[in-house]
Formats: sequence, structure tokens, C-alpha cells
Amino acid sequence: MEKVRRNKIAICLFMFPAVVLFATIIIIPIFMSSYYSLLDWDGITKGIFVGLDNFKELFTSKSAGFPKTIGNAMLLAVLSTFIQLPISLFFAIILGKGVKGEKFYVAVFFIPVLISTTVIGQLWLKIYNPDYGIVNAGLRFLGLDNLTHVWLGEQDTALFAVFIPILWQYVGYHMLLMYAGVKSISPDLREAAKIDGATEWGIARFITIPLLKPIIRICVIFAVTGSLKAFDLIYVLTNGGPAHASEVPSTLMVSMIFGRNRYGFGSAIAIMIIFLCFFFAVLIRKLFRTEEVD
Amino acid sequence: MKKNLKKLLVILISTTMVLSFSACGNKKTDKAKDVGNNAAAEGAADAKKEEIQLTLWSIATESDAFNNAYTKAIADYEAAHPGIKITHETFENESYKTKIKSSVAANELPDLFYTWGGGFSKSFVESGKVLPLDQYYTDEFKAQLSTAALNNATYDGKLYGSTYTTPVSALFYNKAMFDKYSLKAPTTWDEFKTVCQTFLDNGITPIGSSVKDTWVLAMTHDALTLKSAGPEKTANAVTKNGVSYNDLDFLASAEKIKELVDMGAFIEGATGLSNDEASANFYNGTVPMYITGSWMGGSILTDAPNPDDFDVAPIPVINSANAKITDFMGGAADTIMVSNGTKYPDVAGNAVFELTKSISKYAYLDGAGIAAWQVDYDDSAVNPITKKVAEYASNATSFTLWFDTLMDANEAGEYLALLQELYIGNLTPEEFVEAMAAQLED
Repeated sequence: MEKVRRNKIAICLFMFPAVVLFATIIIIPIFMSSYYSLLDWDGITKGIFVGLDNFKELFTSKSAGFPKTIGNAMLLAVLSTFIQLPISLFFAIILGKGVKGEKFYVAVFFIPVLISTTVIGQLWLKIYNPDYGIVNAGLRFLGLDNLTHVWLGEQDTALFAVFIPILWQYVGYHMLLMYAGVKSISPDLREAAKIDGATEWGIARFITIPLLKPIIRICVIFAVTGSLKAFDLIYVLTNGGPAHASEVPSTLMVSMIFGRNRYGFGSAIAIMIIFLCFFFAVLIRKLFRTEEVD
Repeated sequence: MKKNLKKLLVILISTTMVLSFSACGNKKTDKAKDVGNNAAAEGAADAKKEEIQLTLWSIATESDAFNNAYTKAIADYEAAHPGIKITHETFENESYKTKIKSSVAANELPDLFYTWGGGFSKSFVESGKVLPLDQYYTDEFKAQLSTAALNNATYDGKLYGSTYTTPVSALFYNKAMFDKYSLKAPTTWDEFKTVCQTFLDNGITPIGSSVKDTWVLAMTHDALTLKSAGPEKTANAVTKNGVSYNDLDFLASAEKIKELVDMGAFIEGATGLSNDEASANFYNGTVPMYITGSWMGGSILTDAPNPDDFDVAPIPVINSANAKITDFMGGAADTIMVSNGTKYPDVAGNAVFELTKSISKYAYLDGAGIAAWQVDYDDSAVNPITKKVAEYASNATSFTLWFDTLMDANEAGEYLALLQELYIGNLTPEEFVEAMAAQLED
């Protein structure tokens, strides 16, 4: 084994397939997008080089409304981190402790992640339907007619109506990550704490959560970058509407590129999404590291 | 050793299976060829020539109203031209828009492809990847398909495609519900408003529409604009031909939309409903009116429980000084073009006209579309609503293509976005008209 590791040719040989895949699928397209983002290009005819004009337009054009989409994505990131992850953590700790039917619950919570997002979108479209949807029907049944809304069709409610299924869908995903983390903590620690008279809350607070920190860090990174990239459910439910109320960067990008033939401008949005994802991934790592030093 | 033997056995068995399967396949194709050859020998002299394969892309998927017409037209064509085979590949409408654009960019166009005339295909033609068809548009075809219908497939004076249907916007209404309140199809804006008010007074929402699928609302707005500003002015403003959109006639139609919104004339939740959901409310008799394209005539037959309840009328006139009741929004946008990269330009150039002619006939007989080609066959079986729209179309004094087809993709996207904001109330009619003028200026 040692010999193989020292053999440079072997290293290159074994690395080669992975490097080729990584380069052709990730690195090269990123560089191509960066180049496209400097063009005024309809995707078909020859593009015109315009420098940073697309990026300037991103932040100045009122009709495109890019800053607002960033705001929406940030809001989703905050909600994911502070609402979705605590719920996931709660379930993970409860289930990790060993509950009757543990495997069953893990499977149930994970089901939304497995179902196709389009299917989930259709389900929620029915739930939100102003006419026969369960939300409005329930409100009417309770006599709260004045609280009924066209949930996906009103500017004030559309954004949150779209966020709720997104948050709900990925609770199971983060729960599974954390559950695996909880399971990998040695039971001796728990038992020792119990003998010393620690409460369940105390065990969670001072043993489980601190030991879960690396996993939580990963979850936060996934949640934040996932929010910045969020696309599928929003596309199915509102397609960014009404009047950009639930627009996020990726839906704006798709409508610019494929709806309006603006490949250059769309590529600029793509570059911004990539940049923000990297930025936050690094930032979150830093934050967790400084905490560890403390 | 034993393991190895087993492996060898498995490999041997699977190879034999694969080989025998492929042998079966060969036999079958041989047989098919024989049959084809026989038929060809009977039909034409040039049967010995190798078979010509053309590929046609369209959006006539199996659930599409035009699917039957395409299938029959292709069968007719293949029967008339032995030795030519057309492979028909279909795609879903929205994804096709992406597919066709990327195919143009990647030089992967099939011989014949469906596309939309006007602004949508402009860049395709400019890229030089579409075959000009002037030499194939013979006098025989000219007699049956007017040059006016091909207006949207003509770029820079050259013809690049052929069409089979001239859809128009119309006001579809539920006659049974109208009769109940002794109402008549409106011909002027005032009558239209009275109709709306009468339904509202009786607790019925009068108009079905979808703002989520903004093109449906655009159908209403386009038609009202045409009936306010008239065909020439509208077309000139939208195509940036020296007329500013910031004009009282255009303001009038935006104000009418606002009026209808304010009086609650549009179905509740239109901002969140798709076209399918909204039109379902029309078919089942919840709302009495729906402004959309003539294709609804065919859908009423299949989707409404009581198709006899429904009728159709032209869009009411807002300003009779500019527009007539016989001015129509619509025209031939459905186009089939030929790729410049085709191996058989002469065959494909002729096929595009023969195919569109047959599709025109079968689609009309199915009630799927209004025939663009001359009707020289018995059409008594066509459903009454489609027939009525066809009559309107044949007596039309003008056709103006829908805004979002007339404009290029970016302007169309902006138009639909602005229209949505107008509906929701983020923009006043004045601001809407100004924003439209501004986006059409540069």
C-alpha cells in the first residue's frame, strides 16, 4: 500500500477518471458560464462582448429584480437554519435515544425526500387551492372565512406558502444526517451522564449536541447553499410569481435564459449563485471554527 | 476452477441469447422491407432508389388536439410518395421551446420542425440554419394558401415556413347561463360590462382567466387593445414601427383590465390558477365567459359535460372609430420550417407544403384548428363552435398576431411580467403603458 502511495504514476492513474469527470462536469462549465456572463447573447446567434454590463444590470435593473431574489433566498436560508434544522435536530435526538418503532419513524420522515419534487409540488398545489384546498376548506369549516387566501396567488402570502413545503420536505434529510451522528456517539457517554444524574435535556445539551457539531456544521452548509439554489418546488408551485413575489435567483435565471433568450444575463445570475454558495460555505466553516477555539 | 467454468457458461449462454435476439430482429426488418418494396414496386417506378428518411419534430403529443391530424397527414404523404418515410417525434410544448432553441444552437435540427412564426423564430432564420422556401411555394399551393397567412413565416421578404391553421382569439361563453339571465353576446364594451355586472349581481363571477399562466390574461388584454387601438396602430406599436405605446388608445385597454379587476369580474384566485384549472371552471359552468384562442372549440367538445351549452362570439369593440367587430387577434403562428442542413432539400421543401395542407384539413375536421388552407372538402361534420370561428376567420378584416408572438422573446417576457403587475395592482394603467413604451423604445 505504502509503495502504491509513493508511486506518482499510480496516483495520477487513479486520480485521472475522477479529475476528468470533475473537470468536465463542474470546472469547465463554470469557466464557460463566466465567459458567457460577459456577453450579450441570445444563445443562438453570435454574442457581443459587453464586459461587466450584465452584472451592472443585475443590481440596477428594476424589472429583473435580482436584489429582491437574493433577499428571498437569504430569508429561506435563515428560515432553514433556524426553523428547519432545530426541528430536524429535535427529531434526531428523540429517535436516536431509541423509541419504539424507531426505524419506522426514520423511514416516514425521510419519505418526502424520496418523493419526486414535482409530485410534492402537485400535492401542495392541491393543498393550497383557493377553492377546494385543505387549507381554505379547513379555515371555512372553522368559520374563519376572512382568513382564507389565494395562498399561491397573493403577493403577501406566496413567498411563505412556497417556503413551507421546502422546509417541510428537507426536515427528513437533515434529520437522517443528524440521526446517523447521534447513533455514532458512544452510548457509554449517555449512561455515564445518566448515572451522574443528568436529565434528558442535560444529556442533549451538554453531550449530544456538542458531539454533533461537525454534522450540524455540514447541515447548516447544506441548508444555506440549498436555499440559495432552491428551484424545483418554487418552479412547480408559482414559477416565481405573482409579479416576482416568490422569485429566487435560480427561477429568475431559468426565465431569463429559456424564457427570454438572455443567455448572457442568465449566466451572470448563475455566476452570482455559485459565488454566493462558495462564500457562505467558507463563512460558515469559519464561524464554526472560531466557536471551537473559544 | 469450478467458478470459472460457471462464468464461462453464463457468458456463453448470454452471447447466444443476444445473438439469437438480434437474428430475430434482422428477420423482422427484412420482412418489413419486403413488404415495403412490394408496395413501392406497385406504386412508383423509382422504388428501387434507397428510402428517403425525413424527421419531423412537433408539439402534437398524443394528448394534443393536433396529434390525429399530424398522424393522418403523414400517412397520406407516405402513401402518395412511396420511398419517403417521415419519422414524427413529439415534445411537450414548454420543453420544446427550450429544445428547439438549443437544437438550433447545436446544429441538431431535424429535416422538418414545428416552430412559432414571428419573433420566436427570428433568430433561427438570422442564424442561417433555416431553408428559404420561395422556390417550393408553387402557384398550385399559392392558390390554396394565401400569402397573407404566411406573413409570420416571412422574414426580410423571404418565405421560411408553411402553416396549417389560423387560430384567432374569441369570446367563448356559456349560452345556457346567458339565456338564464336573458343576456346576449356583447358587441360593445358597454354591453360587455353590463353582462359582467348582471352576473355579478346574481353572485356569479363572469370571466375565467389565468394570471399564473399569464398568456391567458394576455389573450384578453391583447384583444381589448386591438379593439381599442385598431389593427395597424397595435401592430406598429408592438413591433416598434414608429408608434409609441404611451398612447391614449393603449391606456384605454389597460384601464379596462383594471376596471374588470376592480369590479371582481375575473375568477377568484386567477393569480394562482393555471390555465387548465381556470378553464375547468368554465367547462363545468362555474364561470360563463372565457377569452382565449379558437382551440377551445375542440376542448369544449371533449372536456365540457354539456358541449351544447356553449357558443362563441367576436371580442366586443371598445373604440368603433379604430376597430371593427371583424378585426381579429391571431393568425398563423404555427409554422413548420425546414432545416438548412437537411440531406434532401427538394423533398423536404415540397413535403412541408403537402403536409401542412393535409394537417390543415384533418385538424379542421377534428375541430382542433381553423383551416389555413382552402376548404375544398365536405366540412358538415365539423363541430358548430369551430365552424363558427372558422366563419369569423374567413370574414376577418384583419389579423394581428398576439403580442407575445409578435415581440421578441425578451420583450414578450417583460410584457407578461408587466401585465401581471397591472393585474395585481402594483402598476397603475398609466405606469403600465409608460413601462411598455420604455421597454419597446430601446
